[in-house]
Amino acid sequence: MIGGEMPEYAEELPPAGGPLYRTLAERLPTGVRVLVAGPHEDALVRAVADRREVTLLLRSAPDAARVDARDVRVLCGTLSKVTDTGRYDVVVALDGTGRLHSPEGSALDWAESVRVLKRVLRPGGTLLLAVENELGVHRLVDPGTPTAARGGGAWSPLGEFGSAPGRPDRLAAVLGAEGLPVTGLAAVWPLPEHPTLLATPETLRYGPLDALAALASAAAAPAYRKRSVLSDPRRLAAAAVRRGLGAELAPAWLAVAQLAARPGQAAPLAPALAAGPGGSISEVVGGPDGAWLRRVLHGPEELNGPLPSGRLLEERLLTAALRHDLPGLRRLLTGWMAELPTVPAGNVLVDGDRYARLDPSAPDSEDALAWFAYTLATGGYHHPWPAVTDVARLTDVLAGAAGLTTRPAPPPASFDEFPDVRRQHEEQLDAVRRRLADAEDRIRFCEAELGKREAELGRAKTQIAAFSGSLGYRAAKAGLGIARMARNRIRSRGRT
Amino acid sequence: MHHGNHFYGHAQVLAAYCGLDPDDPPRIDGYLQHGWNVVDGLGAGTPYAPGSAIFVWSERTRRRAWSMGRPLATVIGAPFLYLLRSEPDSPADGEREGTIWYPFHGWEGQRVTGDHLRLIDEITATEPGPVTFCLYWQEYSDDRIRAVYERAGRVVCHGYRGYMRHRTDARFLHRQLAELRRHRRVASNRLSTAIMYGTVAGCDPAVYGDPMHLTGEDTATAERVRREWPELHGAHPDPGRARATALAELGDGHLASPAELRAVLGWPA
Repeated sequence: MIGGEMPEYAEELPPAGGPLYRTLAERLPTGVRVLVAGPHEDALVRAVADRREVTLLLRSAPDAARVDARDVRVLCGTLSKVTDTGRYDVVVALDGTGRLHSPEGSALDWAESVRVLKRVLRPGGTLLLAVENELGVHRLVDPGTPTAARGGGAWSPLGEFGSAPGRPDRLAAVLGAEGLPVTGLAAVWPLPEHPTLLATPETLRYGPLDALAALASAAAAPAYRKRSVLSDPRRLAAAAVRRGLGAELAPAWLAVAQLAARPGQAAPLAPALAAGPGGSISEVVGGPDGAWLRRVLHGPEELNGPLPSGRLLEERLLTAALRHDLPGLRRLLTGWMAELPTVPAGNVLVDGDRYARLDPSAPDSEDALAWFAYTLATGGYHHPWPAVTDVARLTDVLAGAAGLTTRPAPPPASFDEFPDVRRQHEEQLDAVRRRLADAEDRIRFCEAELGKREAELGRAKTQIAAFSGSLGYRAAKAGLGIARMARNRIRSRGRT
Repeated sequence: MHHGNHFYGHAQVLAAYCGLDPDDPPRIDGYLQHGWNVVDGLGAGTPYAPGSAIFVWSERTRRRAWSMGRPLATVIGAPFLYLLRSEPDSPADGEREGTIWYPFHGWEGQRVTGDHLRLIDEITATEPGPVTFCLYWQEYSDDRIRAVYERAGRVVCHGYRGYMRHRTDARFLHRQLAELRRHRRVASNRLSTAIMYGTVAGCDPAVYGDPMHLTGEDTATAERVRREWPELHGAHPDPGRARATALAELGDGHLASPAELRAVLGWPA
């Protein structure tokens, strides 16, 4: 206990962690003294503690009591109480600085927090600092309001009113001005606390943007599975990266800075580092002739080799649908179903007539086409078949457009793997209202038509009655009727 | 749906293309565009059941339909193109000769006013070869009008388009295609469906002569048509450009596969 600890409070939001941060931790030099400041996943702490002397700084007393890494020294309290001046070779603050403070004592702002972290570094020491981007895609899709958060840790939630730098280049400039020149900078996707894609701002400006956009979208998909969002983070992430805003709109930035830089001390950051859904980790590096290569660090060997070129199939399909480019849409569907029919459209890159898996280690799906039909029908997109609102029928239409002669696998009973997009709720509500209004109008229309047909039928029946049989037949029939009435009258008289 | 889907045997042509019984096409889940038009694909005055799909010929028509408050349009291309592609032109059918000329007609209940004799004089002065006049069934059955044209050339009629699914001539388009393929040129005094069909069937198009007028017709539309499609007007427009336009208007490149068309029209697989 160093003072300012929170005796009753346990962190409510997930700590920083994930496979990429672990990979970076493993690359730190061994035999050094490290301060891990703020909540970090146990696995990450263990990775840092492997052959290194680790001190953990936590504000929550219950969390500090639960730390189960051996040989880890725990400081429990608030950042301003840390007195270990010049003690550490490395400071790891991948959770940012927001959760280093407690309600006790005066809160430090971002720059003041950085100064404390700097103070505990040895000359030449390294700071790994993550900074959340308050205008990042994760914020843009967040249905909640950060400045009105109700959690126990949100006693003064600043959101975008905070003082942390708002761009990666400013972050580097500010750290430099603090005497912490930045030796590595990366944009963090898709969530600040759990990145599965890290890419340097240069890569996001001059690198293979289409493939990186596909990686960003693929990274957002599992992170936002079934989560309530304002708009689809997969599309927003991909659009941001493809349009060259991947660094500016990233949910967070990771800075590697050094107190008085010494060459060869920094953990080098690859142009891009990606974690696949199956646990693979690969880095994207520039090849000798301007090509981009993927190098596997963990996972299947098949990921090694040139990074596939081209754009994400799902985006190409949606673009063709929005353009009402039927020939183009049919060409894409046909190529997809011929080359990779069981690979989801979100895991296929298209370059001309070439279809390649973005991540060969990601699982296949027998009903990939039905999933795309679902996206097209419910994702808030214009498409060439606006009157087809049923996913099963739209799947049949797409199968026909793809040149399949057999019916595709039926759609699954529910499509709950995607983010739950609130903007789509609005659109779906509008669509239901429109269809209801149309249905009511159509009933009126049909009733009017029915009225006309009934009038026609009435006239036809009269004509049939008038013209059925000859004149003689009708006279005889009338006579017979009169005779029958007369007989009945006589009989009834006889009985009385 | 609307009986207009059966006009000219369109539903029958599509059913045959889809591998279904052409004599008994299933109900189409929406409205088929049944003629080239410069509005939303539906014929003027078609009673539209709200919320129904419209199956239009071209992307241009779809965009126009959207702008006119008809968002549920899907481009499938003209049934005539489906027929054209499935009935290849055989050279054994003989050399093309002369011109097939479609005098502007009205529909049931409409009357055309204009001087047929003067028009015929202009036609015979312009056309290099023999002229076949194709009359709409209404004019064809008017002995007086028919006699006027018979004095100037051969007179044909492709059939009756049908009304309320009765007396539909299911071979209308087949007959029209066969006639078009016998001629070197297709012409009319108004740009119309027949000119589009003839142009894509390999005829050189021409649109000239007194356009004539329907009783009470709003001439602004006719003027707009001349302004928008100049490449199809005149006695000798550039056939290459005209063909490209006609193909686009009929939805070339947009035709659906049988499986897609069945799913789109709501027909059984």
